[in-house]
Amino acid sequence: MTESTTVTPDPATTAGSGRGRSRMPSRAGRRRRAGRIGQVHPLVALLWLAPALALILGVVLYPAIKLFDASRGEYSITGLRKGDAGWTNYTKVLEHPDLGTVLRNTVVWVVAVVAITIVLSLALAQFLSKSFPGRRFVRWAVIIPWAASLVITSQLFVLLYDYNYGIINHVLLSLHLIGQPIDFLGDDSWTMFSMVVVGVFVSLPFTIFVFIAGLGAIPEDVMEAATVDGASPWQRYRNITLPLMRPALMIATVLNVIYVFNSFPIVYTLNDRNPGYLHDTTITFMYKLAFKSQEKDVGMSAAAGIFNVVLILVVVGIYLKIINWREETSR
Amino acid sequence: MTSTKKSVVVAGVAIAGLALGACGGGTGAGTSAGASGGSGQEVKTIKLVAAEYSKDHTKAFWDAFAKTYNQKTGYTLDVQVVSWDNIDQQSSTMIQNNQAPDILNLNAYASYAKDGLLYDSDTVLPAAVKSDILDTFVKYGTYQGKFYGFPDLSSARAFFYNKTLFKQAGINEPPKTWAELEDDAKKITALGNGNVGYALPLGPEESQGEFSMWLFNNGGTWKDGTKWTINSDKNVETLTFLKKLADEKVTQNNPARTNRADAFDLFKSGKAGMVIGFSPLAGALDADKKVDYGVAPFPSNDGSPSKTFGVTDYLMAFKKPGNEKAVKAFYDLYYQPDQVNTFIKAEGFLPVTKSGVQQFQSDPKLKVYLDTLPNAQLTPTDDPTWDKVKLAVQQNLGGGINGSPKATLDGLQKTAENGG
Repeated sequence: MTESTTVTPDPATTAGSGRGRSRMPSRAGRRRRAGRIGQVHPLVALLWLAPALALILGVVLYPAIKLFDASRGEYSITGLRKGDAGWTNYTKVLEHPDLGTVLRNTVVWVVAVVAITIVLSLALAQFLSKSFPGRRFVRWAVIIPWAASLVITSQLFVLLYDYNYGIINHVLLSLHLIGQPIDFLGDDSWTMFSMVVVGVFVSLPFTIFVFIAGLGAIPEDVMEAATVDGASPWQRYRNITLPLMRPALMIATVLNVIYVFNSFPIVYTLNDRNPGYLHDTTITFMYKLAFKSQEKDVGMSAAAGIFNVVLILVVVGIYLKIINWREETSR
Repeated sequence: MTSTKKSVVVAGVAIAGLALGACGGGTGAGTSAGASGGSGQEVKTIKLVAAEYSKDHTKAFWDAFAKTYNQKTGYTLDVQVVSWDNIDQQSSTMIQNNQAPDILNLNAYASYAKDGLLYDSDTVLPAAVKSDILDTFVKYGTYQGKFYGFPDLSSARAFFYNKTLFKQAGINEPPKTWAELEDDAKKITALGNGNVGYALPLGPEESQGEFSMWLFNNGGTWKDGTKWTINSDKNVETLTFLKKLADEKVTQNNPARTNRADAFDLFKSGKAGMVIGFSPLAGALDADKKVDYGVAPFPSNDGSPSKTFGVTDYLMAFKKPGNEKAVKAFYDLYYQPDQVNTFIKAEGFLPVTKSGVQQFQSDPKLKVYLDTLPNAQLTPTDDPTWDKVKLAVQQNLGGGINGSPKATLDGLQKTAENGG
């Protein structure tokens, strides 16, 4: 697109007398130029890549190796390494009596938070991409939960949910919707719900903005054409908006799954009064194994950490595979 | 086009996954060469990792202490103050990485002694200091015949009651027996308006402390000699009584899921009739001036003389080449009455030395604690197994309120007998 308008004609091709002769040097010249621009000596390339490589090696690879190393060690409760444990840390994690509960919690937590977030964000993004007075203000307001520290947000919700003084119970009681306060964080049937609400609350801003960007990228003329052809608003949304939003949906889903799966502060803060692992996800499970539970075993926790990485990679891999499969079949 | 985009996503995801795994790895790093201190050479600078008892006083005290230490001895003291929420994690990470501090302030020591990481009193504690430390604390600080757990401060629990609520409910004096306590709790709960008789925190934060106070006052123990006695008849009786209080709804809602801080908040708001507290709670109540409260010995089941549950934290000395002299100089200075007692007074805790008890006698508010302190019962902190049993108790004791007290204590007994 830009090439045709801005590239200046090569003097060699325009000013040459013989076509045959002029083309040859021109091709050679282009090849030489391409060689100069596109190819550099491998060592020079390495020099340019060095900062990024150092970062990946130091921040990603080295700790990952250390994590693996720790998962194969036998540790005392004090943190002292007593020797090699082989694979026993892994088997101890797999044989942990609460592992089933923890995995179930993790699935419920990730699926519920991501699904509700995506559905709500689609609606809110639609609303925020229309122009109305005060839109800028509303958009800024949406960012706030994202900008606040997760621990602070979680702690605020602990206060809101409180059994004795929480404002939520206060409002519900004043409206006579309930006769007794609800123990949002201590009652097993409410705890997961209460955590999911906070999870959705903090995931919304990012997702909404991804979708606003996605909506902005949909060409007007396609919409116009559909309207002219007599498509109803729902048909336009179903057959044009959603398919064109696919890249945004995919990115939002993948990033949210990782982000929610790894979310530590919400689950840990809202759940700190509950004994055992009743409402823990694999991330807080890993933390408690290392520092809070009767196991208090760094090696076992590191093994759980390895499982966590593998788990999230597998889940995301499967998701991308499904996306790919749909793409293939829809053609 | 789409394939490149996707591969970018995949690569991004892989890196994100690895990075997040790496974050987990920060706490799980293995043994790396980073030990400080050359072999044989005398160390001139030592490091203290101290727990933060209060935002206002802890750092201020240790900074001033480091200055005095430097002036008097010529050694330098690096101070790092860490919050209680983080200190287990930080100390564990330091030891994994072979970067233990020279002195660590924590609420447990026996596991460290068992791992052979600590100096005992013969090497680093001046003899005069050892003989000044209260005998109870020497006893619980001794592992396999050697004294490793040097106490920095102590606290003893006492019974706090809300005088206003007691008057409203027509109760004249604090209860002497559990039956009276139950009766009083019923009367206060009957006042309505959200008042609760007894604030019972059996959540994970500190349930071993609450339960210790109850079981000691029923003649029970955690461990008798070398035998664990967690599921003794006395203790089952104790937990069953607590379950009864919860079932009768004379406690706050959901005691099994209430942390100590929340129970204290309830008492501070004037809504709870009774709670087990300690001197920092009294300090907070005095600062608020909102609740008219009294402090009394905790009632026993049968009316026999009350026993108190005592707690100490420790300043342990880590074996590192060449640091003996500097560490010994540290303890020599810390246990000077004008240092240790200044610290304890500022933080609102209780003394650990005989000279300290005498010095604090003049404060009428502390009398109720000081009288009981020399005979205070502690949890079996001298047994490394307790360090794990304590965690098991914190995580599981609340289960006895919603389920079976006997089964819960049987489970804990089994954990203890299996070595944690």
